[in-house]
Amino acid sequence: MSVPGRAAAHVLVVEDDPHLAAGVMENLRAEGYQVRAAGDGEQALAWLATNTCALIVLDVMLPGADGLTVCRTLREQGNSTPVLFLTARGDPADRVRGLEAGGDDYLAKPFHLQEFLLRVRAILRRWEWYRSATSATAVLRFGSNEVDFRAFRARAWNGEVQELTEKEAMILKVLAEHAGEIVSREDLLERVWGYDVFPSTRTVDNFILRLRKRFERDPASPRHFLTVWGVGYRFLSEGEP
Amino acid sequence: MKATRVVQLTALALVAVSGVQVGWWLLDQHAYTVEKVRVARAAYAQQTAAAQALLDSGSSAQQVRELLPGIIVVGGRAALAPELTQALTTEEQRRDNQYAWEGSFFLLALALCVAVITRALRAEARVHEEQDSFLALVSHQFKTPLASLQLSLETLALRTPPPQLARTLIERMLADVARMELMVTQILESARLERGRVDFRAEPLQLSGAVARVLGQLEERARAQGVSIASDIAPELRVMSDPLALDVVVRNVLENALSAVQGSGGGTIALAAQAANGEVELTVRDSGVGFPPGNSARLFEKFTRLHGSSGGYYGTGLGLFIVRRLMQLAHGRVSAHSDGVGRGATLTLAWPLAAQSALAQGPAVAQEPGP
Repeated sequence: MSVPGRAAAHVLVVEDDPHLAAGVMENLRAEGYQVRAAGDGEQALAWLATNTCALIVLDVMLPGADGLTVCRTLREQGNSTPVLFLTARGDPADRVRGLEAGGDDYLAKPFHLQEFLLRVRAILRRWEWYRSATSATAVLRFGSNEVDFRAFRARAWNGEVQELTEKEAMILKVLAEHAGEIVSREDLLERVWGYDVFPSTRTVDNFILRLRKRFERDPASPRHFLTVWGVGYRFLSEGEP
Repeated sequence: MKATRVVQLTALALVAVSGVQVGWWLLDQHAYTVEKVRVARAAYAQQTAAAQALLDSGSSAQQVRELLPGIIVVGGRAALAPELTQALTTEEQRRDNQYAWEGSFFLLALALCVAVITRALRAEARVHEEQDSFLALVSHQFKTPLASLQLSLETLALRTPPPQLARTLIERMLADVARMELMVTQILESARLERGRVDFRAEPLQLSGAVARVLGQLEERARAQGVSIASDIAPELRVMSDPLALDVVVRNVLENALSAVQGSGGGTIALAAQAANGEVELTVRDSGVGFPPGNSARLFEKFTRLHGSSGGYYGTGLGLFIVRRLMQLAHGRVSAHSDGVGRGATLTLAWPLAAQSALAQGPAVAQEPGP
């Protein structure tokens, strides 16, 4: 069971419990990933300052700087490496906190091995897609907006420079790939989040609202991000006449 | 629980309202007295005026005095007798004084009630909070070994690991189970100690014997982890303690030292004891991960784990809490010192020295006073 079709992805495991760290690492290795361990947040940040990896498996309760802080620090530094949180606290409020800190997914301890591996694979697959899709066309122009997918930065029609979150960039990418076609909310959820991280498709609506606010001259009557009632969204790069 | 709280809050509200009422009553009484004195003065003023009118109409001073006994006549002018003026002022002061004393007594009593009820409410809230955080912490502490156990089992189920790895997994699982068992034991021990339900019988005990017993249990683990333990305790040193408590204390302290040393990848633990000032002092010095010097007091609190960073530390956060409680019961003391993270730590334990002749007199029994 190796990762199909590409060189082994590097995964950084940040976990202070040696047994759990060893178990997670053995399994990731068995799946064909290259694995690297860090015992606490400082070690992880120090390693990431000079190295890159495809995914960070991050324990929330760490000695010193906790996982949420580590993730927030990374995002502030402009590091968009996907993060899968592992935590002993699994209630919804903690999930939301993890995702707000910039995490991609959230798994409560004790977790099922297969589910963990599935989630790792799903996150890597989404990013693989995003990277390959953006390597062909790194810049998207629509209206007077210009989006740089790789820098997660955009210049809006009014000249304002916008920093995009990874999810916003991914949604934009999915919509742009299917410009002119209808994309359902479920498709967007599946492509961008992949899992039941968010409970409802309402989340997608909120992200569309944010994109409209960023890129539409009049967010109340959008010309690029159109709602198709009852189905989903349609993106028009030329703008609706 | 909820009903008690309602009763307590109602009582608090009633007492507070009573306080306000007493305050109001005081003001009212004061106003009433002032008013009464004013009315009396007005009445006397009328009498004085009437007396003056009589005098003016030709009545003699003698007649006026007989008609109006409170009036004196000085040089053809009617005036109120000075003792009456004095009596009015005195009466006003006396009443105000009385209200001030009575009022402050009531207010003081009510304030006391408020204080007592508030204290009770606060204490209850604190107990609740502690219970909640205790449960949260306990369940959180269990999740890590549980997650590790599940992971190992699922790894065995999912793959067919080579014998070497299978061996490792099984050992890891056994260690996880041992870890959870230790946690259960310590949680029960600490719960018992907290409620104060302990039968603590102090008797003279040979310290070196207890240390040797515990070392015997930990020897193999220490060797496997590259930790060398040196013990230098004179066999004649005897301490006053409960035999079970002494074993638990020594075991917890040594487990703690072992974990700290293991966390820094092997090292040494040195035990030494001496008698001084009616005490036997045992020092346990390790070359382990240490802790920030300012944190030595926190070390003995529940669920404090100061051993940072990666390593093999599996503490439950209860071991040293139990040690401190048991040392209190033994009328001894315990303290910790470290020069900083990564620079080792020293734990100092002191028990009352058992008299050399104690054995001849038979074991002394000291009963811990009940809760």
